[in-house]
Amino acid sequence: MIEKSLFRDPNLRLEGQEDAPEKVPVSTCPRCRKNQELPALAQGLFLCPRCGYHFKINARDRIGMTLDEGSFREMGKRIASKDPLSFPGYKEKLEQARGQSGEHEAVITGAGSIFGQPCAFFAMEYQFMMGSMGAAVGEKLTRLFERALERRLPVVGYPLSGGARVQEGIHSLMQMAKVSGAVRRHADSGLLYIAVLCDATTGGVAASFALQADIILAEPGALVGFAGPRVIEQTTRQKLPEGFQRAEFQMEKGFVGKIVRRREQRELLGLLLRMHAGGPA
Amino acid sequence: MFAKILIANRGEIAVRVIRACKEMGIRTVAVYSEADREALHVSLADESICVGPAPSALSYLNQEALLSAALNTGCEAVHPGYGFLSENPGFASLCSENGLKFIGPSAETIRRMGNKDEAKRAMAAAGVPVIPGREDIKDLSQAQKAAQEIGFPLLIKARSGGGGRGIRRVKGPEALDHAFTEAAFEAQSCFSDPALYMEKLLTDVKHVEVQVLCDSRGNAVCFGERDCSMQRKHQKILEESPCAAISPQQRAKLMKYARQAVRALRYEGVGTLEFLMDTQGNIYFMEMNTRLQVEHPVTEFVCGIDLVKWQIRTAAGIHLPFRQKDISTLGHAIECRINAEDPAKGFAPGGGTVDILHIPGGPWVRFDTALYQGYSLPLHYDSLIAKLIVFAPTRTEAIRKMLSALCETVIEGVDHTALFQAELMTDPGFEDGSYTTDYLASRRAMDD
Repeated sequence: MIEKSLFRDPNLRLEGQEDAPEKVPVSTCPRCRKNQELPALAQGLFLCPRCGYHFKINARDRIGMTLDEGSFREMGKRIASKDPLSFPGYKEKLEQARGQSGEHEAVITGAGSIFGQPCAFFAMEYQFMMGSMGAAVGEKLTRLFERALERRLPVVGYPLSGGARVQEGIHSLMQMAKVSGAVRRHADSGLLYIAVLCDATTGGVAASFALQADIILAEPGALVGFAGPRVIEQTTRQKLPEGFQRAEFQMEKGFVGKIVRRREQRELLGLLLRMHAGGPA
Repeated sequence: MFAKILIANRGEIAVRVIRACKEMGIRTVAVYSEADREALHVSLADESICVGPAPSALSYLNQEALLSAALNTGCEAVHPGYGFLSENPGFASLCSENGLKFIGPSAETIRRMGNKDEAKRAMAAAGVPVIPGREDIKDLSQAQKAAQEIGFPLLIKARSGGGGRGIRRVKGPEALDHAFTEAAFEAQSCFSDPALYMEKLLTDVKHVEVQVLCDSRGNAVCFGERDCSMQRKHQKILEESPCAAISPQQRAKLMKYARQAVRALRYEGVGTLEFLMDTQGNIYFMEMNTRLQVEHPVTEFVCGIDLVKWQIRTAAGIHLPFRQKDISTLGHAIECRINAEDPAKGFAPGGGTVDILHIPGGPWVRFDTALYQGYSLPLHYDSLIAKLIVFAPTRTEAIRKMLSALCETVIEGVDHTALFQAELMTDPGFEDGSYTTDYLASRRAMDD
């Protein structure tokens, strides 16, 4: 049998209606296969209206739906990865990622407020090489935590990553230690760090700052783990249980504090920040 | 008519010729290299002979081996296909010396058209406009005079040059002195011949060509034009007929020039005259291909004629039963070349084994290929693996048909350009038909 996916959709306009207005782009829910027009999907926080599936979303959209309107001030905008190892094809890949995501790097950092509570904030970009962490991502995050420490600000972050960026080799692996150090100094001075794990948070990012937060929340169905399930299955040659490494599974095992649906995240983050803000009760 | 023909080629064109022969009752002999033992043309032909190892210089270009294969199997004629020895005057005369009919024009015609200077002179003599230029320029004062006649921008080229050396682009009169001195110096030092010639630099041009067919009695018929302007690094990507950006007056002119040219050459068989057309509608002869072309199916669709059969018939001395007035074109045809190249890797050619093959179908959808499921693509030859040709009453419908057929095409196991072609079908620059030979390069520059 020839797989359906081997044939492409020519996606032609209805005959006789070539001059009709542009077709609205449609996204299909990977879980229940419901087709949804993209603008409507964006209106509904990128949630599937039928099954509630949480679509991956861009870092900019995340900022828009989490922080108070107009409160965000971006930091380290111009920090971007070079190609320290002259890794074959990396430069082209970076170009492609920049084109695809419209971002300079795989993380956006800055400061803003949630329901008036000031905080440092970061969100990672899945369209930029699946949010992989190279030297620039590590540097931006380190500076964010250092700045937060200086200004006595809590940090709210949305980790999302395939892990360390292989194209930068050891340069990217050392970011784990570097960012962890900054997280630790931030924590030691009694400041709060909340992480909301997104689909997927894996590899070197999961093994460092993503799971070092004081409060670890996760989006429903997010894949959270070090090695991905496919790699584990191939290595151990064992079938893994259903839902393995999903956020719900990790909550059961104690890695995740609470699963929060996208609609409730802003509310909860605001509450947590207010509770930990100190001052008169 | 020939009872038996040797097909001195491989790939889809060998298959195309074998098919025509079968229909005509002609026995076929295929030749193959050691890398092509499992190729489709080998199985399809009545007989097949191995003519050497994988590199084409030792097999498909090995004239002695090809001739002995033809003589040993009792062939009466040799069909060269395109590429390889199809435009080699030496091979054509070697064939006739050995009593074999070379299916193509005479060795002398091939030689004359193969020499660019001579071809240009022959065409100018026949009253066909050629790219304005001046030969044999010896000093700067001659160059300045010639530049005034030709106009800017222009090219200065070494008469004995080649490989891009000794060529200077000159945008305006102020740059002429410097460019001329440099080019003359380079021509002297590289080719020991300081003689230069100058010609007009044509940018933003359409590459249009005219298919001709002539019999030995001098009956020359033109089959309308093909637009081959969609090119990447001087390689044609897709072709269509008719050209969407040509007026009936220009078309009539094109046909007139083509007929003048083949009459003057006393041409025989199929051939193609390539012209450049600038934005003002001026037409200049570029070169002539004295053979069957890759894109011949486009013309077959709009004219309803089998060019390969007529090529063989005219070679056998049969006279055309139709004249120019009997020829009419109908509808619109497009051909997309599918190459075993990876567009994501700068169109690097690659090989592989065809795991799944699904060929698109439907009315007026033609897929010329030598692929089959399980076939391992050798890396020694041209990367063209298939040609998809569609025909429809209008250009819009032809584009729809082509896009749908490309989307239905499945060639798994080999990187290929079908998806790239599908994207091209919806490219605004292609859709309006205005594209020129620089279009893909400038589109890329915009993307960067």
